[in-house]
Amino acid sequence: MILTSLVLVLLAVLGAPLFAIIGAGALLGFSRSDVDLTAVPIEIFGIAETPILLAIPLFTFAGYVLSESRAAARLVRLSAALIGWLPGGLAMVAVATCSLFTAFTGGSGVTIIAIGALLYPALIQAGYGERFTLGLVTSSGSLGLLFAPSLPLIIYGIIAEVSIDSLFVAGIGPGILMMLALAAFCLWRNRENRRPLADFSWREVRAAVRESIWELPLPIVVLGGIYSGYFAVSEAAAMTVVYVLVVELLIYREVPWTRLTAIVRDSMVLVGGILLILGISLASTNYMIDAQVPQKLIELVTRYISSQTSFLLLLICFLMLIGCILHIFSALVLVVPLMLPVAAQYGVNPVHLGIIFVATMELGYLLPPIGLNLYISSYRFKKPVLEVCLATLPFILILFGAVLLITFVPALSLMFVTK
Amino acid sequence: MSSAGLPPADAPGRAERFGRWLENALLAIVLFLMIGLAAAQVLLRGAFGGSLAWADEALRLLVLWAAMLGAIAASRDNVHLRIDLLSRFLPASWQRLSAALVDLFAAGVSGVLAWQSWRFVAESREYGDQVLGTWPAWAFQSILPVAFILITYRYLAGLPRQLRPRHAAPGPGPA
Repeated sequence: MILTSLVLVLLAVLGAPLFAIIGAGALLGFSRSDVDLTAVPIEIFGIAETPILLAIPLFTFAGYVLSESRAAARLVRLSAALIGWLPGGLAMVAVATCSLFTAFTGGSGVTIIAIGALLYPALIQAGYGERFTLGLVTSSGSLGLLFAPSLPLIIYGIIAEVSIDSLFVAGIGPGILMMLALAAFCLWRNRENRRPLADFSWREVRAAVRESIWELPLPIVVLGGIYSGYFAVSEAAAMTVVYVLVVELLIYREVPWTRLTAIVRDSMVLVGGILLILGISLASTNYMIDAQVPQKLIELVTRYISSQTSFLLLLICFLMLIGCILHIFSALVLVVPLMLPVAAQYGVNPVHLGIIFVATMELGYLLPPIGLNLYISSYRFKKPVLEVCLATLPFILILFGAVLLITFVPALSLMFVTK
Repeated sequence: MSSAGLPPADAPGRAERFGRWLENALLAIVLFLMIGLAAAQVLLRGAFGGSLAWADEALRLLVLWAAMLGAIAASRDNVHLRIDLLSRFLPASWQRLSAALVDLFAAGVSGVLAWQSWRFVAESREYGDQVLGTWPAWAFQSILPVAFILITYRYLAGLPRQLRPRHAAPGPGPA
């Protein structure tokens, strides 16, 4: 049993696809306990029995189409016109636009490439230090995963069987806290450089609004629809896709029809990867529950850790580590089923736990030496990884402070959650 | 083992292009059916307060198909999610060996999954399970064995390429 696990871990770090690792675990586990192995495909077929999963392909595709268009440029222009006149305004523009864009496109790497590339030269031009700019752009790339319609929150909700609407509501406070923390840091670091980007100009605001008039209703309809409860999550996803397709293909015509095949393929390849792992892990989770793995884990953990505080601290460290090794979706699928019962033992609310998971893993994206966003940023801005690490360090500390607050002040997440 | 490395234009190259084209076409059909049906449901609910009774189940089956077709395409592009911490620190010859080992393992697991999915579909056919009213369930479930057979094939077919020297390291997976 232990030998098998070690071999699987070795194969995983050598680069075996995760679905094969989890699949092998489930198959071996079931065959050892004499369960018919068709249990595994039956669980995978469970993909077709989980209605909420519909949101995943729809939002992913919409996000891919959005990042192919010039939506990012319009978003930056509009927010620069609205808040660029504040001292330190452009840095706040960066924080705000990155969050909104990441919430809609999901993958935070996309944000660095699409928005970071626009903001980086603008920030340098506005007199922000090069290292500060690099750090800001890199770390803003993972903000926003706590806001609707974030895919990681949806996936957590599916695995943990928690209401996704509650998760979205719970994410607002912590998400805003992380944005404010970064924005405040920007203001403080640039207290010498208070030169605003430009004077406030109604003309520029009007021009920017007119330019993005077709995209403006999107966040309002989607966020309003979800937060008010008018749309179910998958309905909001359907509306988003149709809206994005009409606006980017028919009105702005920035995404050529010929690109569509490639966008469909790229987005569905990601969706296939995620859902295959999710389906197979439904099987492995079932096996683990049969084999009472969570109970054993609870016994083990409670033997050494007595208080909720030390459990949560340990959990955060563990999640940051996992967050930088694994893609956030695989990490959720693997860790949530194991950690959920343990956390319940320490009296952690499952909705709050979801927010802790996603907020901490956001940070994992930035953790040296292997956080994915460090490499994307290094690649995109042609800077050595070490320089990106050093530039990002102060931002990581700020965000870590925010994660601690989010973890130890449950009210921040739960105050508006009614269910 | 001594075949020259000139894949395009010959028969395998044509099969490769056709396979990719077929994947793209099926993915597009499934995705746009999904979008159309999901949007129709929202509009019907908004306008008439009702919805198509069969549409929710059809949508769930479409999600399964999109997922499995996406998984097939992901193994062609070799972008299945993976960790890959260690292999990049290995010397080049060991890298090839570990890549081959890992692919062989993935092929083995997918092979077993294909076989078990086949049994699952056969049983469902025997029991006459139905979906969407009176449609046979096995027809919709058969995407599972088909997908795993193709994924197995993909990892096996990649093996000679992994073992050949001067092979560029595989990418670290999707961003």
